Amino acid sequence: MGNLLGRSGRYLRMLRRLAVHTLSRELMFRGNFLVKVTVEVLWLAILLVFYKVVFARTNQLAGWDEPQYLFFVGCFFALNGLIEMLFLDNCNEFAELVRTGDLDGLLLKPVDEQFLITCRKFDWGCAPNVLMGAGVMALALYDMGWQVSLLRVGLFVLTFAGGVALAYSFMLMLTSVSVWMVRNQSLMEMWWLFSSLARYPREIFSGRLAEPIGMFFTFVLPILVVVNVPANVMVRALDPFMVGLVFASSAIALWVSRRFFLYALDSYRSASS
Amino acid sequence: MPIIEAQGLAKTYRVAQKKAGLAGAFKSLFRREYREVKAVSGVSFTIEPGEMVAFLGPNGAGKTTTLKMLSGLIHPTSGQARVLDHVPWNRDDAFRRQFSLVMGQKNQLWWDLPAGDSFQLHREIYSIAPAEFQATLGELTELLGVEHLTKQAVRELSLGERMKMELIAALLHRPRLLLLDEPTIGLDVVAQAKILEFLRDYHARRGVTVLLTSHYMRDVEALCDRVLVINHGRLIYDGPLAGVIERFSESKLVKLRFETHAPEELSEFGDVARKDGPLAELKVSRSRVAAVLAAVLERYVVVDVSVEEPPLEDVISRVFQEAEPAHDAA
Repeated sequence: MGNLLGRSGRYLRMLRRLAVHTLSRELMFRGNFLVKVTVEVLWLAILLVFYKVVFARTNQLAGWDEPQYLFFVGCFFALNGLIEMLFLDNCNEFAELVRTGDLDGLLLKPVDEQFLITCRKFDWGCAPNVLMGAGVMALALYDMGWQVSLLRVGLFVLTFAGGVALAYSFMLMLTSVSVWMVRNQSLMEMWWLFSSLARYPREIFSGRLAEPIGMFFTFVLPILVVVNVPANVMVRALDPFMVGLVFASSAIALWVSRRFFLYALDSYRSASS
Repeated sequence: MPIIEAQGLAKTYRVAQKKAGLAGAFKSLFRREYREVKAVSGVSFTIEPGEMVAFLGPNGAGKTTTLKMLSGLIHPTSGQARVLDHVPWNRDDAFRRQFSLVMGQKNQLWWDLPAGDSFQLHREIYSIAPAEFQATLGELTELLGVEHLTKQAVRELSLGERMKMELIAALLHRPRLLLLDEPTIGLDVVAQAKILEFLRDYHARRGVTVLLTSHYMRDVEALCDRVLVINHGRLIYDGPLAGVIERFSESKLVKLRFETHAPEELSEFGDVARKDGPLAELKVSRSRVAAVLAAVLERYVVVDVSVEEPPLEDVISRVFQEAEPAHDAA
């Protein structure tokens, strides 16, 4: 137990150091940083205006009323922002590390390879997304006159973490393929597909053609549960089966993606010097 | 107990082949052909603690591939190795804490930040106690004369300064084994000399085991008593540095200084390597040195004479040139 705590403390200290380093680096290029933050703020503003226009003409969207949907959008924005801040840049850079052989330097460090490769750099330009997402969620809860429920808050935090774990595992699997493909530009396209699926309520997949797709992306490749379940837990009906599905699928996905990542690293050839 | 033990270490790569042109590119989309490249073929050697050993070979001989297997970066196709009493490619943390690999062509520091920031990260990664970290950092920066540069962004440092910072980062955790892959590549003579002097001093102080690859014989002569020569993935020599010349050079250099101009007919005695006024240098096969000297001294008035081994640089370069075309290994 003491050993585990010591190990966790060491990794947390490393994470803090990496976070500080990357922030120092971002601030050295503050023009780039400001443009990035501005674009993200505009992107959220456009999204909110769009849904405002939609809800001016209807009371419900796939069974979600306006404050509920606002909460869903905030949840997506926060979760997506967190993933992009912590992992997307690192995973995207992995193929380049493989191609140039710069991965060598990381593999030689006495640290878990998955940690160092996927958490090395923080993209601080995405940090405002997490805050804005949290702000939108708070605003939505205020709008609907939400009554505080510790059970719902606790389950929201856990399913939100499960959603992050699922998204991270998905990204890690895609990243690992770079060891064989060397050039892996498809990662961004696949991530775009992932976030496009995750950003809408599961209920939009209704009808003879869409329903099987919705089922596939809920139970086989559970992308649709990533945002849907935490948002549902907080502002709609609490479905224990879906909560269990998030916990089980995130645990399995984390295990499978780690095994696959380590298997891929075993095939690493390093680049010629 | 040896610090490095390699037994029949071999690595074969499967390399995709593509015919030239667009048709070849389309064909390779559906049916890709592969060729097997033997980068390292059954290399065996041991290195004892505290040794400084040079690993020599032409480009593509398998030096870097061997270093990468010994550091655990890649798995061998066959063979065994134990480094610091660990199987390197298991990459145990306990193993990785005890060695460093410095590659002259790779930058491991954070490019946009001062080297001091990267050193702090190393402190966390290797769990170095603050007092020990400060003491080691102070010692290393002083030895390399870079105390004033640790707060400057790495990208603003010269190549020589960057290599010094790379060495500091590699030594902060006081490794028992240092693997150096072309550490002076691209450096000017002054920077090279400083790095070599540092490595010599550091080895004397700490007794670290060093395995070095370099194309500069100056590095090898300055640091190593023992060399491993590898060619086509096979170890062709393992022994003292002086023995390389004996093993690969059949001739010696006879240096002569005549009273007046060096005579024209010197080529009768051997290959004339140099002729400049009264000075001349003859390459003579080892077995004929005594006879040639006697004949020259009998026929001409010689003011000064010496018999020397040919420069290591020349011997090694001849060994490399005589090699068949190198394959694609690192």
